[in-house]
Amino acid sequence: MLIRDLFRLSFHNLLLHKVRSTLTSLGVIFGVGSVIAMLSISEGAKQTALAQIEAMGIDKIIVFAEKPPPTSRESSDQGSVSESYGLTERDFGHINKMDNIDRITPLRNARKRILRGLRPLDLKLVGVGQSFLEDSASTLVRGRWFAPADFKNATNVCVIGSEVKRKMFTLGKTNIVGGTLRVEGQVYRIVGIIENDIGTQYPGIGSPNDLICIPMVTSNALFGNYAITREGRSTQISIIDYDLFIVRVLDIMHIDDTSKRIISYLQKAHSENKDWGLLVPLDLLKQKEQTQNIFTIVMGSIAGISLIVGGIGIMNIMLASVYERRKEIGTRRALGAQKLDILFQFLIETVFLTSLGGVLGIMLGLGIASLITYYTGMPTVYLWWSVVLSLLISSLVGVVFGTYPAWKAAQQNPIDVLRSE
Amino acid sequence: MATMAENDSVIVKLAELRKTYFTGPLNVPVLKGINLEISRGTFVGILGTSGSGKSTLLNILGMLDVPTSGHYILDGIAVEKLNDTDLATIRNRKIGFIFQNFNLFAHLTVEQNIEVPMVYADKPRHYRKQRAAELAEQVGLGHRLKHRPSQLSGGECQRIAIARSLSNDPAFLLADEPTGNLDEKTSGDILKLIHQLNDRGATIIMVTHNPALEAHFDQVIRLRDGNITHDSLITFGSPEHVD
Repeated sequence: MLIRDLFRLSFHNLLLHKVRSTLTSLGVIFGVGSVIAMLSISEGAKQTALAQIEAMGIDKIIVFAEKPPPTSRESSDQGSVSESYGLTERDFGHINKMDNIDRITPLRNARKRILRGLRPLDLKLVGVGQSFLEDSASTLVRGRWFAPADFKNATNVCVIGSEVKRKMFTLGKTNIVGGTLRVEGQVYRIVGIIENDIGTQYPGIGSPNDLICIPMVTSNALFGNYAITREGRSTQISIIDYDLFIVRVLDIMHIDDTSKRIISYLQKAHSENKDWGLLVPLDLLKQKEQTQNIFTIVMGSIAGISLIVGGIGIMNIMLASVYERRKEIGTRRALGAQKLDILFQFLIETVFLTSLGGVLGIMLGLGIASLITYYTGMPTVYLWWSVVLSLLISSLVGVVFGTYPAWKAAQQNPIDVLRSE
Repeated sequence: MATMAENDSVIVKLAELRKTYFTGPLNVPVLKGINLEISRGTFVGILGTSGSGKSTLLNILGMLDVPTSGHYILDGIAVEKLNDTDLATIRNRKIGFIFQNFNLFAHLTVEQNIEVPMVYADKPRHYRKQRAAELAEQVGLGHRLKHRPSQLSGGECQRIAIARSLSNDPAFLLADEPTGNLDEKTSGDILKLIHQLNDRGATIIMVTHNPALEAHFDQVIRLRDGNITHDSLITFGSPEHVD
């Protein structure tokens, strides 16, 4: 029998029972559909998370100040509270001298209230080191970054993040760069606007887009290491040298050793006082990838089980179909069909069924993924290899679970059909 | 019509053919040494009551079953030595089956039904279409090519089945009670069609339990209890037959 005729015949038989064919392949449809949907969702989540981690820089170690939990004495006090915590000038010096350190970009939050009119905004005025623009993976969208002279002379200039511009200035306002900005009575000349479009987030500080950056020396000259904040009737004085170090290493291969050395130094220098934290984006990246792998294995197993269940369903229906079509099989054999012709006819039918299930499943899965993106805003990512793999696997399910019924069909005795019914 | 067979004109030859069914401890002999010769162009009737072994003989003649012992030579080929694949091929090329229940494929059109044996003979599509049209014309249903069996009468279905049996130019037609499911008038028409085919040279072996059909046959073979009790050719003096 010609292969083309074989395919035509099998396809024709499936079309004959459209509803049954669709119902039969439901197992595969839902199996493949859920796999595709889950893969798209998890890949979307993964890429978002990875992009955020990566945005901090894989050659970076982020050391940050953490406010220690208040002791009972402090919290019961209604008057002024003074506390000293975070990263110190001494820490900066020590870490800077360690091996494999390229440079440290320090950052200090001045803890000023930023207002537009009377409305407080969730923005921060921070003193930053010269290398902040580059090491925070931000780009200059207008004006300039701080010049060496700004650091040398501690000038009152600032570079604002794109969100600062959006929140503090009227839409469409031009000549922001060159204008001024007032924070708690202090006036800064705006020299540039920066933007971070890859979602960098620093612990305790947030996105570079929400920052009003001034040179670290200006910050020191104006505020020293004090910050006075008032909340209700209580006044809080924080003494803090630095809130953040963006540590850039020379060799990524040794980033683990370097981070361990920083940790052991900080543990010693800050004794029991856990007023600091450290994260290595590269580690987070690896952890995230590991978690992702486990997730993929779990999902693969679920997919495998659902496809096996779907396959068994199809095998069951095909076996019933062989029984139901004994007369057809017998007649075909009498008219000259080889056993192989019958075998392939049924096998191709099953593979068609499961492949059809695969195609419908892929459509279902991609549909679910886009619905989720549409309604929840969760990013989903369509993976071409998952589509190809699903198709291959669903066809394979057809071969695996179709062989037995097809073999049964080929073994039918043609004599049965010649007996009068 | 039937003339005295010369050796090269013998199309079917059975010699000492036996078939025994082994059902557990019990051996059931169904054919007990059949000797038979059928010549090209003959219209043969195999008659017998149920249980006479005629179905088994039909299955063996149609190569759907193999004999336990003895010889079956079809058109010079020793069939008993063939494997399943070769049997299917010979069935396809040498035998045209006509069934009592027509056994048409309900979901295929008349044209596609006639094409089926040609499909298994790897005939190209355009040839099949052309041949199907010719055959449908030959059985008087050229205008019904695109119809399905459910749209045809019983007699028309059997005509289509006959057209299908002719599609690969077989050595003989094997008809199993072809008029068994038809009314008298339609039966007559079908028999007439079969006669016409026979007149054009087709060898036809018809199995029936209906003695009334006897007059139609050139050669009448009666079966009883697995033996041939009558072969009308004997009256022509066939030397090989002892009955």
